[in-house]
Amino acid sequence: MSFLAPAAFAFAAAIPVVVVFYLLKRKRVVKLVSSTLLWQKFLAETQASAPFQRLRHNWLLILQLLMLALVIFALARPYFVGQSKSSRLRVVILDASASMQSTDEKPSRFEKARGEALQWVSGLRDADQMVVLQAAANTEVKQSATSDKTALRRALQNCAATDSPTHLVEAFKLAETLVKDRSDAEIHLFSDGALPNLGEFENKNLPLVYHRVGQGCENAGIVSLDVRANPENLDQRAVFVNVGNFSTNARRTDIELFFDNQLLETRPLELAPTNSQPLVFIAPQTTNGVFTVRLAAPDDLAADNQASIVSLMPQPMKVLLVSRTNQVLEKVLRSQPNVELSVVSLLSEPAVGFDAVVLDDVIPAVWPAVNTLAIHTANTNWFPGWETIQTPTIVDWKSTHPLLRFVNFDNVYVGESIGVKTPAWGVALLDSPQTPLIIAGQRERQRLVWIGFDTLNSSWPLRISFPIFMVNAMEWLNPASANASQLMVRAGDPFRYGLPAQPLAAAQVTRPDGTKKSLVIEPGARELIFGETFQQGIYRLKAGTNEVTFCVNLTDAAESNIMPHDELPFGKYGKVAATTLKRANLELWRWIAMAGLAVLLFEWWYYHKRTA
Amino acid sequence: MSALLTPELLRRLEQFQLLAARRAKSSAKGERRSRARGQSVEFADYRNYTHGDDFRYLDWNLYGRLERLFLKLYEEERELPVRIFLDASESMTFGTPVKFDFARQVAAAIGYVALCGFDRVSVIAFPDLPPLGADNTQLKAVSSELAARGGLRAVRGRKSTLGFFQNLSQLTAHGGANLNEALRRGALEARQAGVAVVLSDFLDPAGYESGLTALVSRGFQVNAVQILAPDELNPGTYGDLRLVDAETGGIQEVTFGRYRLKSYQQTVQNFCQRLREFCQGRGISFFTASSETALHDLLLKQLRQAEVWG
Repeated sequence: MSFLAPAAFAFAAAIPVVVVFYLLKRKRVVKLVSSTLLWQKFLAETQASAPFQRLRHNWLLILQLLMLALVIFALARPYFVGQSKSSRLRVVILDASASMQSTDEKPSRFEKARGEALQWVSGLRDADQMVVLQAAANTEVKQSATSDKTALRRALQNCAATDSPTHLVEAFKLAETLVKDRSDAEIHLFSDGALPNLGEFENKNLPLVYHRVGQGCENAGIVSLDVRANPENLDQRAVFVNVGNFSTNARRTDIELFFDNQLLETRPLELAPTNSQPLVFIAPQTTNGVFTVRLAAPDDLAADNQASIVSLMPQPMKVLLVSRTNQVLEKVLRSQPNVELSVVSLLSEPAVGFDAVVLDDVIPAVWPAVNTLAIHTANTNWFPGWETIQTPTIVDWKSTHPLLRFVNFDNVYVGESIGVKTPAWGVALLDSPQTPLIIAGQRERQRLVWIGFDTLNSSWPLRISFPIFMVNAMEWLNPASANASQLMVRAGDPFRYGLPAQPLAAAQVTRPDGTKKSLVIEPGARELIFGETFQQGIYRLKAGTNEVTFCVNLTDAAESNIMPHDELPFGKYGKVAATTLKRANLELWRWIAMAGLAVLLFEWWYYHKRTA
Repeated sequence: MSALLTPELLRRLEQFQLLAARRAKSSAKGERRSRARGQSVEFADYRNYTHGDDFRYLDWNLYGRLERLFLKLYEEERELPVRIFLDASESMTFGTPVKFDFARQVAAAIGYVALCGFDRVSVIAFPDLPPLGADNTQLKAVSSELAARGGLRAVRGRKSTLGFFQNLSQLTAHGGANLNEALRRGALEARQAGVAVVLSDFLDPAGYESGLTALVSRGFQVNAVQILAPDELNPGTYGDLRLVDAETGGIQEVTFGRYRLKSYQQTVQNFCQRLREFCQGRGISFFTASSETALHDLLLKQLRQAEVWG
């Protein structure tokens, strides 16, 4: 057993004070008696008549000395050294992701984790230091290294669970720098273990102690949400929802669809164990608004039971086709119902008033500033240099990209292509061994789709994938759809909003709970970024006369799977098991103080029994 | 007949007679055997006739056998002086019942038994009364007490019983006692030794040893009865106390609680035991009684068993 505050033994100087109480004489009640002879003899047998009396056996004195000894013992704060090695620096990482809001632990996993962390604060020695990090979508240093327990407790109390997914890599990187070159440091992670693989730290040998919270996994959640125009009826919207059941029991629930808080439809839903189920709602829409999907049955995690998405009314897309004689391309573009196509053979002025420009094997006099689909043409701003590649062979394509949705390049042959290297602003969607053939990306605020070969010099227009690609490309290049996709962000991710041309000084965001946050816009800024999207729900941004509604959703299957993990994966082989230790130092002063109280009560009872 | 003793108790007491271990030495005639020769029916001895002896006491039968004249001597029967030393100090006014009342009852009982046995009874109350002052009321009270005390000296005969009881009732207790001096003086004043009964609480700071020794030395057959109040045997007041002595005004501070009761009782026991051992060593009959003790228990059992009377 050791002592956290051995200096408290100085309080032992109080013991003589108690003894002095018994040496001093007290005020007395006068009583007339027949004779004091017997009392004199009595006192002569029991005590001397000096100012100080001999210390006699007295239970009250013994009890008081015992109590004082207990108090001094408690003040010295004895503790038993636990099984873990004591460290001089502890980095506490408190997982504040959405899964920590689960209520399988009462009141919640986060509160339990916070309680355990507070106990570790109590167990700190005087010289020990602690750092408090809150890890959610972003890592926040709540308290830098300090020994001040009050500050540490306050920092932990200020932590709050968010609706965002877990991004622990950042927290570990920060903790790693803090514990680097310190053999006496430990990282304590208070989490449920619902983390992505931390392979980056496989060989770092972090001194990590993992405190697992959480017991079960009774959760169903919305893991994806999307809304599109119904291709069969443009007045209707198709709302796509994917609901996952992460518990090992089948769950029944009702799923409700709202439009601007008006209930449109309710469907019963039966979810098989550990399965997900996609659903499509067809709903009419006449104005811009917000679709909200909600699972009615309560479960352990409420944050993923609701998701919202902004749905804007479709606007016709104005497209300028700059082409010499590509009838196929023109026909494909004209066939799209949402496209208003204009065709020119030369582009000599900026394409003002168009949503997108298609450059088909031409070099314009002025390169357009709007979103552009460029076919078999190149610009030195886009590529530092290029060459001509003959008969490149298609070897791979990125089918997960929205542009290549339902697009297949089987049996497509290319005669000749411009050979470039993939630039920093884009990703290669279609690859040949020599050069990327299709690149898509965003350059400054302009979206670009670049096709390196002349479509007429290939077999692609003969394939069904060509018109599908063009539909996808027009969808992707449509500024309205690009804006619409920006109106839904995942919790913790920043919301970006392109500012209008007229200068604005301030903006205001109304959070889902009704609180407001004022933002200051720097002069000349073209984009407004709002990072405090920790709360799931519908946000409203007011910037000048513009009002924008955007939605923050969890929609993260990994986060909705709240099953606590006993081990943290670190790469292929590394893992850290959950510790069973609760606290390193088990302080005893509370028990001793309680014993002191019991002795005090006994002394009180004994005194009254004696003098009653 | 008296407020001190009930008629029933008096009737029981009439059956007793004080038992004297020694022969009476009184000069007055009585009913006790004595060493003196005189007229009675109890033969004692013979002696040679001398000129002038009364012929009526000559033993003529002996003269017939021996032809010498012998005189028959008979025991003289004398009275037994009984002196009752009654502690009338301030300390006797304590207790419930009051110790002095109890002492007077015992004195009355002993006196009644003695009077019934034609013995001479003297009750000596101590301490002496204070000197007379100018106050009339005090004068009257003191003179009445003086008269009572005087009336309790040398009382004889059963006919004096009523007056004896009345005088005893008029006694009061006050002042500080000096037990040794009172007993010594009583021993010196007595012309003949007899039975002495000391009724006191023996709580005298000066002690009791020299007084009792003086009585024994004078030839008294001494009976000591220690009377203590229940509160003295078993105090009921606890806490931090400043005790004031009623007789001396002395102050004693003490912290007393239930947990020390046992050691106090041990102190009382030790005090009584020392007194008892002192008495046993000098042939003194010793009794301890609480003032709440039943009177007939003390008188009819304890004193009788100790052969004070029979």
